[in-house]
Amino acid sequence: MSQVKRARRVLGIRPCTWVYLFLITFTFVTFLVGKMGIASLHVSLLILLLALIKGHLVGRYFMGLGAVRGPWRWPVSIWLLVPGLLISTAFYLSYQ
Amino acid sequence: MTAQAEAINIAPLSNRYPPGDLAIWIFILAELSVFAIFFAAYAFTRMHHVELFNQYQQTLDKRAALINTLALITSSYFVVRAVAAIREDNSQHCVRWLLAALAMGTVFLVVKLGEYHHHFVVEGVNLSTNTFYMFYISLTFFHFMHVIMGMVILAAVAVMAKNGKYSAAEHTGVETGASYWHMVDLVWLILFPLVYVMR
Repeated sequence: MSQVKRARRVLGIRPCTWVYLFLITFTFVTFLVGKMGIASLHVSLLILLLALIKGHLVGRYFMGLGAVRGPWRWPVSIWLLVPGLLISTAFYLSYQ
Repeated sequence: MTAQAEAINIAPLSNRYPPGDLAIWIFILAELSVFAIFFAAYAFTRMHHVELFNQYQQTLDKRAALINTLALITSSYFVVRAVAAIREDNSQHCVRWLLAALAMGTVFLVVKLGEYHHHFVVEGVNLSTNTFYMFYISLTFFHFMHVIMGMVILAAVAVMAKNGKYSAAEHTGVETGASYWHMVDLVWLILFPLVYVMR
């Protein structure tokens, strides 16, 4: 096991379990905002930001890209950024 | 508990490539690109039909979408645990986590089919009903097919793990299947707010 590193636990909980709990929490926040049916640019962008953070967490901790060095560390982050920017732009323009 | 058992998300140091077969990552990036185009097309088309999109978005079952999101996130978490188990050379636990992930995938499929039944059979919606439904059906069904594909891959990995084909030393297949499944989850994490919530 010389080639493995131990992930540090926080409060006795594994990092991936913390990430899972964050993902669940963000999902409930998104759902509650959706139930309110608010049509607002700021709310929409906030929801999108939450989704992008969730995607980043999945890429880094679930897909294991956080442990990758070099260019292969970034494809998922870039993927999140590109549609994120396009969707933000489209929503912004729809409010003009 | 041993250091090995405590380890989770273990990754070789100085790893220059993502977990799993590099070919699956090329495939994943191709798939993600297609979904990115779909998302952008949805958002820019919506720009010209805001009222229509907002109106028909309200007909979608947000509770079903919530259950599906929770199911996919949970299944992804189970897959992370399956990978950790095989890295600890525990193929029995690996199989159990994979079966749990498959159960969550089944929940997703059942809930989604219920949603489709409501829209297609009860409401009589189809691809040409309006632009919103065209996107809703195309996007979610395309993703639905990926969930099925992911489940087939996970099932194959589970069978091979059960047959002792993987170990702590060689488990590329598990990581490859896991990477694909996380991609399916990743896409849904954007699809859910975009189609069901943002307005």
